[in-house]
Amino acid sequence: MDEVFVCRCEEVTQEELQKAIADGAVTMNELKRWTRAGMGLCQGKGCSRLVMNILAKSTGQSPADVKPAHYRNPVRPMPINSMIKEEE
Amino acid sequence: MSSKFDAVVVGGGIIGISCAYYLTLEGKKVLLLEKGEIGEGASTSCDDMILLQSKRPGILLTLAMESLEMYKKLAQELPVDIEFESRGGMVLIESQSQLSLMEEFVRQQKALGLEVDLLDQGEVRKRCPMVSPHILASTYSPLDSQVNPMMVMRGMLREATARGLKVMRFSPVVDMELVAPYHWKVTTERGEIYETSFVINAAGAWAASLGKLVGIELPIKPKRGQIAVTEAMPRLGKTNFWSADYIVMKLNPDFAKEREPVLNELGIGLSMSQASSANYFLGGTREFVGFDKGVTRTALKLILKEATRFFPVLRKVNIIRTFSGFRPASGDGKPFIGPVPSKPGLYIAAGHEGDGIALAPITGYAISSMILGKKLPYDLTELSPARLTV
Repeated sequence: MDEVFVCRCEEVTQEELQKAIADGAVTMNELKRWTRAGMGLCQGKGCSRLVMNILAKSTGQSPADVKPAHYRNPVRPMPINSMIKEEE
Repeated sequence: MSSKFDAVVVGGGIIGISCAYYLTLEGKKVLLLEKGEIGEGASTSCDDMILLQSKRPGILLTLAMESLEMYKKLAQELPVDIEFESRGGMVLIESQSQLSLMEEFVRQQKALGLEVDLLDQGEVRKRCPMVSPHILASTYSPLDSQVNPMMVMRGMLREATARGLKVMRFSPVVDMELVAPYHWKVTTERGEIYETSFVINAAGAWAASLGKLVGIELPIKPKRGQIAVTEAMPRLGKTNFWSADYIVMKLNPDFAKEREPVLNELGIGLSMSQASSANYFLGGTREFVGFDKGVTRTALKLILKEATRFFPVLRKVNIIRTFSGFRPASGDGKPFIGPVPSKPGLYIAAGHEGDGIALAPITGYAISSMILGKKLPYDLTELSPARLTV
């Protein structure tokens, strides 16, 4: 079977996610930390629902019961230049 | 399911996992209790460095050097890629007064066997052309290394669970009772009771509240460290970087006067390391704010300003994530590693502050050896919980 990429930013495949679940990852945070899915430029905006579904299916939970991973500031990538500007 | 174990490790961060790993390899029946998710404390809210150069010559430098050798082995042995690399590190020096102090520091470290040298301005520029022209000199050690703590935990857990380690997440410990010497009862919030000969308090920043359950006052406090993560980007030099200003201040407090007071209030010292995913970690702060896990605009701005002062090119780079974590600060800068004399069977492996990743393998190995009654080739008296006078 062709590789299925779930997180495109970090190029994480479905197989890699399944392996992390086999290693014991039971939460979205653990799955993120063990595979980097959702840690790239878009910070999981693209793939988190897919990842949640994979985790739910593999662990026998309903997708609605899977808690999302932590979201971190900034909401969008932000140039350092604009972050260090002095306020008027 | 049996609820009797040889050892119960409380704390599923990198220190607790390492203790559980080495004990399991020795054939012990071990239970790992974690109050939440694996590594949800400091072990996943940190950077990736195994830093030798910042250590004062003494037991911590000795242990860090030992731990580094263990990581080299783990990189071979563990069933996952722990992204171990020895990229080396440079401490960037900005003034003549910093340089004089660092010369002496480097001399002491060399005497202890650490491979470290000073580079002049030309050599610094040659190795990292992007560095700000005001940098006067730098130290260099080829030994400073890095590792991905999340993958270390994953690898150790996979290996240890295959050999019988039991892991319970979302299981805060609410009671610990010394029934008789080397006979403990540990109760979790879920109401499960486990019997064990040994209990290891590896609860990091939460170690003090666990200590209270058995009447021990541990001086371990959460020290918040804020870090910003850049987008994946090309390398700024072969090594990772630190600013000398924070290190010299630790060596000679008079240097505090040379810095903006707010930098000292927030305990800011610049550290820059590039993960194997090519994102840079830009850190960090050292703040006592209890368990407030936020990031602050003031602190991030100062960290990023420091980063651009050393590498102006960073101005154009994007920040994609910021976070903070609680380093378990022990008060005297040294972790507690060893048995509690008044509580037979109770061990402490906590208080590593910013050295948890660097010292995880050696801490787990030391605790396991002590429990098994094996002799260690170094004297850990200085780190003994006996210094608590409990």
